[in-house]
Amino acid sequence: MAWTAGIHPVGTTNIVAYGSSMRGKDVRLDKVSIRFGDSTAVQPTDLTIHAGEFFSILGPSGCGKTTILRTISGFIEPTDGRVLIGGEDMVGKGPNERPTALIFQNLALFPLMSVAENVAFGLEARGIGKAQRLKRAQELLELVALDQYGDKKPADLSGGQRQRVAIARALAVEPSVLLLDEPLSALDLKLRQHMRTELRAIQKRVGITFIYITHDQGEALAMSDRVAVMSRGRLEQVADADTLYAEPATPFVATFVGEQNVLRGRITTLADDVASVESPIGLVTGRAKGALKVGDEALVMVRPERISLGASNANTIPARLVSRNLEGPSVNLLCAAAGQNFTVTVPNGPAVRDLPEELNLSFGLADALVYPMGALAHG
Amino acid sequence: MGSLARAYGRPLALTLTAILVLWILALILVPLGAMVQQSLWWKDSAGDVSLTIDRLYNDIATLQLDAGNTTDAGKKAALDAEIATKQGEATALEAKELNPGKQWGLDNFTRMSSLHLYIFVRTILYALMVTALALIVCYPVAYVVALASGPRKAIILTVALIVPYAINELLRVYAWLMILDYRGVINGVLGWFGVVDLDNRGWIPFLENPSAVFLAMIYTYVLFMVFPIVNTLETLDRNQIEAARDLGASTARIHRRVIIPHAKPGIAVGCIMTFMLSAGSYSVPAIMTRGQGGDWFSQLVYRQFFESNNWNMGSAYAVSLLVVCTAFILLMMRFFGVGLRDIAK
Repeated sequence: MAWTAGIHPVGTTNIVAYGSSMRGKDVRLDKVSIRFGDSTAVQPTDLTIHAGEFFSILGPSGCGKTTILRTISGFIEPTDGRVLIGGEDMVGKGPNERPTALIFQNLALFPLMSVAENVAFGLEARGIGKAQRLKRAQELLELVALDQYGDKKPADLSGGQRQRVAIARALAVEPSVLLLDEPLSALDLKLRQHMRTELRAIQKRVGITFIYITHDQGEALAMSDRVAVMSRGRLEQVADADTLYAEPATPFVATFVGEQNVLRGRITTLADDVASVESPIGLVTGRAKGALKVGDEALVMVRPERISLGASNANTIPARLVSRNLEGPSVNLLCAAAGQNFTVTVPNGPAVRDLPEELNLSFGLADALVYPMGALAHG
Repeated sequence: MGSLARAYGRPLALTLTAILVLWILALILVPLGAMVQQSLWWKDSAGDVSLTIDRLYNDIATLQLDAGNTTDAGKKAALDAEIATKQGEATALEAKELNPGKQWGLDNFTRMSSLHLYIFVRTILYALMVTALALIVCYPVAYVVALASGPRKAIILTVALIVPYAINELLRVYAWLMILDYRGVINGVLGWFGVVDLDNRGWIPFLENPSAVFLAMIYTYVLFMVFPIVNTLETLDRNQIEAARDLGASTARIHRRVIIPHAKPGIAVGCIMTFMLSAGSYSVPAIMTRGQGGDWFSQLVYRQFFESNNWNMGSAYAVSLLVVCTAFILLMMRFFGVGLRDIAK
């Protein structure tokens, strides 16, 4: 059987309206900080996740995102601060007493139980009779289009099918908040992309709060209502995907989400949120982000797709074309100017077929963002 | 052999095969074969023959006295002839006494007395109880060791488990003897508190109770139960425990539905080893009961060999114990749904 055979078209209407009995709850972190011994995993953090929202926490490994998830699910007690779910303080409540369900990175399906028993396990733990819980499990397996697989063992299923069993198992206990710890990371690219849409569709259908942990910005941007970017135990920015991409609040967010051309320089003039920076390639003008003053060292960020060829914008740089990499719909041009490398992404077409070695790169004032010095995502 | 030779070359393949054959011979076929062979034959008791020989010599002595006293040459000749005949008979019987005929059959197995059969059955039951108690004691220990957070803690726990086993088994059993004896550590402490009166022999006779043997046996064989369970538990994905907890399962349910099913092969191996060792243990019951408590079957086997000097009967007893234990293990494996493949893992 091909791997696609088990995957049903997203949004089909043959799905039972299972979500009607479930209601999402909001999750609030109130000055939560978490320390292990003398290392701080999470700095004091305030965060509100709305009821019924698909919320992602995005960050590199070791940034504390999994710690936050485990704190919400109850496996870790915060060192300071409170976790509130639906307005209720969760202090002293174990994972089994919270209205949350966690989907583990490795799914943690029970290998010795059948798929149906896996899904019914949460109901079994609540003392629901065998016939009733298996009927319920069957309904949930229909929800994730696996109703033919109840008698199989998890090992007999494909990666994507196992994924959906884990979702069904978590939904069986009718949680108000579903916590997902990078559950797609073990899947191959094509399946991962499919599961993104799938997850989003399931979330829409059941209407509960999803909190999704990932280090993959593509996943976070594609699925989420809002995304929190984390670095070194601190929330860098909480915003919807478009804002995050277009208006990153910090140099870390700017470089972690999407690609950036980074210039270092010193601020020469600053007026009305417009900053001019003296950089190795000359004076660059852009929008000021964050607290800046004249004479400060600064970082200038320009996204590769915001640079165009020609000399039509506020900032123009004469550069030399080093290499041209065809991506398909777009072309990445690697250019060099005054010892500085630039990546330029332009739409593929006849215009970028035969380029001269000497080029002019230009970008508008609004396309360049000027930040105070700070940590970048990649060194 | 062909594929071995292709993979490793002829000399190495030959060596490997030779080692394998030697292994099977030395560890399985020869000892077991010798025991089974010994158990399948016996020699007739020579008691009647010896008595007849004694009588013949008595007769001969009387006849020789008569022959010495008589003066009648004819009568003397008759007596001498009779002596010669009896001497011949005695010589023939002596040869038979020295080398009684071997008889083959299952008599050694069927001749077990009802008392010995009772001890046999009781030993199996006792060994079962030891196994069950050891499992109850060891499962939590194994669980803690296997799921100890951090490799450092796991190493400390493992060392703490192994250290008592660096001491000779006999010493450990004798230590328990000293603890449980009439004037042992426990009675001493109780006497000191005035609970028992040692001066008037009012001690608690721990050693006269089978549980004293159980205690020493569990202590002696606890590692054989702990380590297989630790090994299987270590392979358990801890996320499964957390997932079960997250889904609302109580601790008891997590053990029953997630951890124990996973540990089943380890539990099976631990139970088999503990059962086999305790059913066949000689030193522990011999030392702990000192004849005060009931015998275990292994003690009967010992006596057949070294006190009755009846190796055939002893072999038959030993083989019976082996057969029943093996059958029992296969039964338990079937019952728990554990295959050889799971155990070998």
